Amino acid sequence: MTATLTSQGYDQAAFDALLASLDEPAWMTDRRRDAFEAFANAPWPSSKDEEWMRTDIRLFKLDQFAKPDDAAAAPCDPGLLTHGVDLGGHVQSVDGNLVSEDLSAELAAKGVLFGGMQRMLAEHGDKLRPSIERDIVCPKYDRFAMLNAAFWTCGSVLYVPKGVSVEQPLHMLSVLGAEKSADLSRTLVVLEEGAEATLLAETASASTDAAGLHCGAIELIVGPNAKLRYVNLQNWNNKVWHFAHQKAVVGKQGQLQWTIGALGAKLAKVNQHVALEGSDAEAQVNGAMFTQGRQHLTYNTHQHHEASYCRSDLLYKTALQDKSRTVWRGMIKVDKPAQRTDAYQRNDNLMLSEHCRADSIPGLEIEADDVRCTHGSTSGRVDESQIFYAMTRGYTRQEAVRMIVSGFFQQIFDRITIQSVRDALGEAIAARVQDLSSL
Amino acid sequence: MTFHPVGPASDFPDPSSTLVEVDDAPVVLIHAAGHFYALDDVCTHDGGPLSDGPLDPEEKTIACPRHGAKFDLKSGAALTMPATKATAAHEVKVEDGQVLVRLVG
Ligand code: FES
Repeated sequence: MTATLTSQGYDQAAFDALLASLDEPAWMTDRRRDAFEAFANAPWPSSKDEEWMRTDIRLFKLDQFAKPDDAAAAPCDPGLLTHGVDLGGHVQSVDGNLVSEDLSAELAAKGVLFGGMQRMLAEHGDKLRPSIERDIVCPKYDRFAMLNAAFWTCGSVLYVPKGVSVEQPLHMLSVLGAEKSADLSRTLVVLEEGAEATLLAETASASTDAAGLHCGAIELIVGPNAKLRYVNLQNWNNKVWHFAHQKAVVGKQGQLQWTIGALGAKLAKVNQHVALEGSDAEAQVNGAMFTQGRQHLTYNTHQHHEASYCRSDLLYKTALQDKSRTVWRGMIKVDKPAQRTDAYQRNDNLMLSEHCRADSIPGLEIEADDVRCTHGSTSGRVDESQIFYAMTRGYTRQEAVRMIVSGFFQQIFDRITIQSVRDALGEAIAARVQDLSSL
Repeated sequence: MTFHPVGPASDFPDPSSTLVEVDDAPVVLIHAAGHFYALDDVCTHDGGPLSDGPLDPEEKTIACPRHGAKFDLKSGAALTMPATKATAAHEVKVEDGQVLVRLVG
């Protein structure tokens, strides 16, 4: 990769230079200015904030990271999630620069929009504006949200018009290549009433030792009766700081299946929020995490029931080795009008070493009085008797452990209906389990 | 693991506790009663930042600012509740006026 880093920083001059380099609608520039003003005056979150108490970012120095001016070479691997899949379109970015995009002519003819955020804004700004102005992810939630809202440079848009069903999955790949490069991207997905789509998003690093920063925002709008399957595989290397705000809103009788694979990052802090805003809506959230070394992954999940008769079902499974640490904080919030809610959240942790640590903090906040809300959490070591049993059948200790780890994740894989996603996640996890040294 | 330079000894007055980065890990470097110590800057109770807590050079302890658990400067042992596990204690040496830390474990 030959990209050159511009160490422009994130001050007023850098912001003005960014604005000068962009050609986007005035209303978007106004939004950026507003976010920048907040960013310039806001402090970083600290361990004194409840939400950040277990996530130490004192060693994070924003000024070390910058977006290279020019796109580095395109990634040679099209992405783990694409194997064996007949795609309807793709968007790829490297170091925050769009490198390629396409959409099948058939889908384009149906009015589907899919491509890089900048082009989409330039060509379809008026159509996208109402969705963007909904502020699904609050641009001032914290300093990372402000940073993204002010300085974002790339990202993708998927827009599916009313009643259109997109059969072939669409794919997005974001790569960090150059040392100390920053990817500040946004994703916007809008499914109009009755629309259907499957979107596979993944991130990767071109090398194992280039430090990087990703600060992102994902907004998913699932209209009434619409159906979205969204997969998000976070596979940065273990030197990347990963901060993200991700939120979906689901309309009346809409359905969302959201699967997260979290494997990479030095430190990740992700807020994943699902709001069921129309009655009889449904969300299934699946999370598979695997950590090693000194990785620290924090996922805050929020299932917000705003309307009646909605269902949400969240399952996060985590396996940890070495000195890695995960924090999962889950909240089910049920508003007063959301009677007959059926909500579930569960987090299971498999500890593969002496020194790993998993914090699991489920929570409920319920204002309605006719609901079913349950949660559960387990943390435990690999069962020695299972290993012993497998070894008596001729497996080595490591094979036995690998088998137990994949069995642990099976419950997640069973919920994922897309074969390539099951395979990719399974392969990526298995590759890491081979490294098991402490067992 | 190798020794990593963390700065000139004169940058760390006695007594003081300072957050330093060693091989991507947060480490609290302590200068107390003429000695240097280095511990993982992570309280084993609930991850509190030890470098923000009170240092007692005479007792050779540092306390977590969050719920007060005390740790032994030399061994990292947890001396008082609510922490029950030691935090990692790393090797420190001073060479040519530079403080060097080697991560242990
Ligand atoms: S976090 Fe240190 S004593 Fe509780």
